[in-house]
Amino acid sequence: MSKISAMMDTGKRSLMNSQTALQTVGHNIANKSTEGFSRQRVELLSNQPIGEGNLQIGMGARAGVVTRVNNPWLEKQIQKEGMNMGFHDSRADALGRVEQIYNEQNNKGLNQYMTDFFNSFRELSNNPESLASRTLVRESAVAMSKDFGRVVGQLKAVQEDLDGQVKTTVNEINQLTKEIAQLNEKIQMIEVQKTPANDERDRRDLVLKKLGEKIDISWAEGRDGMVTVTAGRTGILVSGIGSSELKAEQTGSRDRVEVFFVGTGTPANITDQITGGRIGGALEVRDRVIEDLLNHVDNMAYTLAKEVNKAHIEGFDKSGRPGVLFFEMPEQSKGAASVIGLNKTIFNDVGRIAAGAQSGATGDNTVANVISSLQHRQVMDGGTSTLDDYYNTQVGQIGAISQRAVKSQESQRNVMNQLTNIRESISGVSLDEETTKMIEFQKTYDASARLIKTADEMFDTVLNLKRL
Amino acid sequence: MRIADKMSFNQVNQNLTKNRSDMADLQNQAATQKRINKPSDDPLASARVLASRTEERGNSQFIKNINNARSFLEFSDQSLGELSEILVRAKELAVSQSNDASGNEETRLVTASEIEQIYNQAIQIGNRKLGERYVFGGYKTQTTPFNQAGEYFGDDGDMKIQTHKDSFVAMNIPGSKVFLGKGLGGDGIVRARYEAPTTVEQLKQFQKEEQEREEINREVESNFVETRGPASERRSSRFDKQDPVTGGGGTNIFSTIKDLEISLRTNDKQGVQAALDTLDQAISQVVLTRSEVGSRIMAVNNTMDSLQKAVVDNKVAASQLEDADAFQVISDINKTDSTLKATLETSGKLIQPSLLDFLR
Repeated sequence: MSKISAMMDTGKRSLMNSQTALQTVGHNIANKSTEGFSRQRVELLSNQPIGEGNLQIGMGARAGVVTRVNNPWLEKQIQKEGMNMGFHDSRADALGRVEQIYNEQNNKGLNQYMTDFFNSFRELSNNPESLASRTLVRESAVAMSKDFGRVVGQLKAVQEDLDGQVKTTVNEINQLTKEIAQLNEKIQMIEVQKTPANDERDRRDLVLKKLGEKIDISWAEGRDGMVTVTAGRTGILVSGIGSSELKAEQTGSRDRVEVFFVGTGTPANITDQITGGRIGGALEVRDRVIEDLLNHVDNMAYTLAKEVNKAHIEGFDKSGRPGVLFFEMPEQSKGAASVIGLNKTIFNDVGRIAAGAQSGATGDNTVANVISSLQHRQVMDGGTSTLDDYYNTQVGQIGAISQRAVKSQESQRNVMNQLTNIRESISGVSLDEETTKMIEFQKTYDASARLIKTADEMFDTVLNLKRL
Repeated sequence: MRIADKMSFNQVNQNLTKNRSDMADLQNQAATQKRINKPSDDPLASARVLASRTEERGNSQFIKNINNARSFLEFSDQSLGELSEILVRAKELAVSQSNDASGNEETRLVTASEIEQIYNQAIQIGNRKLGERYVFGGYKTQTTPFNQAGEYFGDDGDMKIQTHKDSFVAMNIPGSKVFLGKGLGGDGIVRARYEAPTTVEQLKQFQKEEQEREEINREVESNFVETRGPASERRSSRFDKQDPVTGGGGTNIFSTIKDLEISLRTNDKQGVQAALDTLDQAISQVVLTRSEVGSRIMAVNNTMDSLQKAVVDNKVAASQLEDADAFQVISDINKTDSTLKATLETSGKLIQPSLLDFLR
């Protein structure tokens, strides 16, 4: 008798095991498209057999534990590369925009406006008496000044946009760190009962990856299963079930957004510590590349204004008056490109343009020649390059930086694709596989049911013995 | 290798994205006919394209400069041609009136009025205008260079025009030189420097030199021993006759003609004979200046030729750098197109079958 009921029992447990397994298959299928999900597996163990005389009788199987198929080292590597990905992504995006400011393939740019400016002085030299050629000088000078302003304005607009990105990203980071702290808590609660917190761990891995894409983090898991996350060198974002926030705001000393770690004490500026993730990329372009370009364009505007003014005040205008400053003279190189502009006196009266070296000689074009010669004089980089060279080098450089950034972005994407593929090949859900398992467990379920039915029939046989 | 469903989907996605973006790139190249649409497409080449654009604009400006200078020079040349013609006519007349065989008091009087006309013509040539500018006034292009007495109100300015990156050519001949013979050498007069200043330092140096030059010239003039013919109706001038000390130098064309006229009117045979020599000098002075103008025209023509060649070379260079090879682009488009179609087709096959499709 005991054997028949043991049979039934084995059948029942097997039915339940199949159900559990099918449930897990269902869970896998349902999460086929869930980001960061690792497929799960029920580990079936055979039950402790019972010894009976010299026989060992198997007591069926039981569901041991539901594990996830996952390679934590790979996850960590993906997280690291994801950090680089975020960095290269935001860097390439920002540089692409910066590059457009210097793109003269289809539009008129600073190079052309400068050439027009110098050519207008050549035209003036052809005919210093003519009001038309004088007006041309005015128009070209105004257009060039405007374009200097445009370049600066657009560069600053990109900087401002990056400021905005930093701010938004910091908000997202705060959400993610909060979630990590909550997941820490959940994982600890679940795992204290010796059950692996599969879905929570998947989720936490994913959130860590997402966090890493935004800012460079280092993290480690403690014995209690909770992770500690540090941003930069000193910003401890998550520790156990607690999280700290980052703050992004403008400071008094600079007009750019900076990142602060808000711990228990006074907020600490950690901007310089951030070198990775989207914020790292944005900061690099904002504070290095664009600042550098701004310096260069300022330098150019300053030198140009200085040199033109120097020649112009030596000359005499159409009515024999001594030359005034041609450009409103910027005080210093810094910010010169945004303040450079034609002198109001000249703007209002083009007769004030001093073309000649001598007073009272309307056909004298000596000064106009000196100014137009400036185009081919090496006045930049300590007298080693012309204004054109200087600017064209800038364009070449920004092109090269941008090209390299796109290349690194591409190769990083390849790395990511490969790693994600490896991850998928380990942890990803395959419908075919799950279907096969489904059939397998369905068959097991069927067979177990048949076993119970057989046991039931055996009972019937025993109960009907008397009737027979 | 274990293939999870997401891998297939990712792969399809990546491949399609790549093909599509290749296609978009090529389409862009086909539409713009340019290989470089932004600096990062080819940083080195795009910087060079900018440089050649600058060069192109510079060259077309230089061509404009040259055209302008050329018309000025050609107009000067034409005027000088006329000047030498009337001087030759004056000489013919002087020759015919220089002896008593072909001339007498009456014919000399008649000839004198023709010479007077020639004088007026010379003044008129000296005051020639091209557009709104006096051709022979030096820098003073808005002031009538000569009054009826032949006094000069212009200056010695050479209007330098840039014809190339670092070369300038003067497009005018100042009236003082061609009509008054000033600064042709041997007269102690210092001429303005020929090079055009291109830097502020040179400019200042130029201004300083100009001042010194004018002072020296004033001094030379004031030290000059005045020679004045008894019948002269004009104020004495440094340039009326040759320098008695140095003996060389230029000729004042107006004085020469005027003197001839006076000699004719006063029936001064010796005076007429003396004028023959000066007229010869005057003619050769004009011829000399004309050849200077001519050589400048030749110089700018040569520069023009090389500029026009440079324009073409430059266009070719820029085109090689930035233009798309149409044939290449089209064949690439066809290639990418067939790749894209193949990807679409295989993707469809890759995604479709699953075990579930066979479990009915």
